[in-house]
Amino acid sequence: MRNHSMGLLFALAFSGLAFAQQTAATPDLSGVWNLRGSPQTRFLSWGFMADEPPMTPWAQEKFKATKPSFGPRSFKDSNDPVNPTTLSAVGCFPPGMPRIYLQPFPMEIIQSPGRVMLVYEFNHFIRQIWTDGRAHNTDLGNTWFGDSIGKWEGDTLVVDTIGINDKSWIDRAGHPHSDQLHVVERVRRLDPATMQIDLTFEDPKAYTKPWGGTLRFQRHPTWNITEMVCEDNVNFDEFLKNEEKGGK
Amino acid sequence: MKRKVALFAVASGLLFMQSALLAHHGTAGYNTKDPVTVDGIVNEFQFVNPHCIVSLAAKDAKGEEQKWQGELTSPNHLLRAGWNAHSLKPGDKITITGFRSMSGANSMWITKTVVNGQELKTAAGD
Repeated sequence: MRNHSMGLLFALAFSGLAFAQQTAATPDLSGVWNLRGSPQTRFLSWGFMADEPPMTPWAQEKFKATKPSFGPRSFKDSNDPVNPTTLSAVGCFPPGMPRIYLQPFPMEIIQSPGRVMLVYEFNHFIRQIWTDGRAHNTDLGNTWFGDSIGKWEGDTLVVDTIGINDKSWIDRAGHPHSDQLHVVERVRRLDPATMQIDLTFEDPKAYTKPWGGTLRFQRHPTWNITEMVCEDNVNFDEFLKNEEKGGK
Repeated sequence: MKRKVALFAVASGLLFMQSALLAHHGTAGYNTKDPVTVDGIVNEFQFVNPHCIVSLAAKDAKGEEQKWQGELTSPNHLLRAGWNAHSLKPGDKITITGFRSMSGANSMWITKTVVNGQELKTAAGD
């Protein structure tokens, strides 16, 4: 019994050591981060870059049918799947990957050995980025946020995401993507208070060449992620009815 | 030169406000060119998602009572800016400035809130 306990103690001590070594060698991205504007970002958070992305004819057709709530092409009767503006539609479909980054709410990064977890305040979506060396797993088929694996290159976490369904827009301005979308994120801290994510999108069905953007985030040590539930939009029905009828 | 800088700052500020503040319904439903200011008494304050809502009673030029409604950003953004669920109470004297609904309703997106003579800074965000 005593030997067994000692063995357990040693095992715990060694696993603790292994944990310490892994975390000591790994850059720390943890904390609550909020998006800041960057020179390449279109009006803060509608799109990933200032120029129009290089759409294929397939994507241009789809783009014509989108009616975004935001950006230079904003519509009063928007059919944005996340945020429609017609009174009868609640919306609240997931923004998906990569649009989740453009929803103007903070996110928290939680790191543990073998996994980096991104907790987005917007509707509490999470992404799990596996850093334990596993390969992509798309057994679930295509999903809103896809399958993400990551590896550390020096101070940078390089995240590879595939298996994203084509139900979401790539940004808030209504640009489409297909299920061939492949996203690469390069995540690193520029200083203790600033994190940069360089995103690259490859989607041969929707875009003639790879494109992307750079997002910068500010760390907020005093902030917590709080509840934000999209379906609470129904709280707003009466307000919108008053607006629609133009009455008092 | 100074004037140019000031104009640029105003233009940048407007762009920021339009992008960061005019959210849930998008940018098409508001008159962002002519902000309006309304004085009144708070009837109700709802600290709810997606946007916090203020209902108030104001008086028009003829002294007749008019009901107004104003929306702010979401509770989590306001919380971080120093607000809470009890920041506005029925009976509080309030002055709101913001972008009126294009429909002509007594409804606005609030950009400035003064309660009982004190400004409560509004946060940016959806």
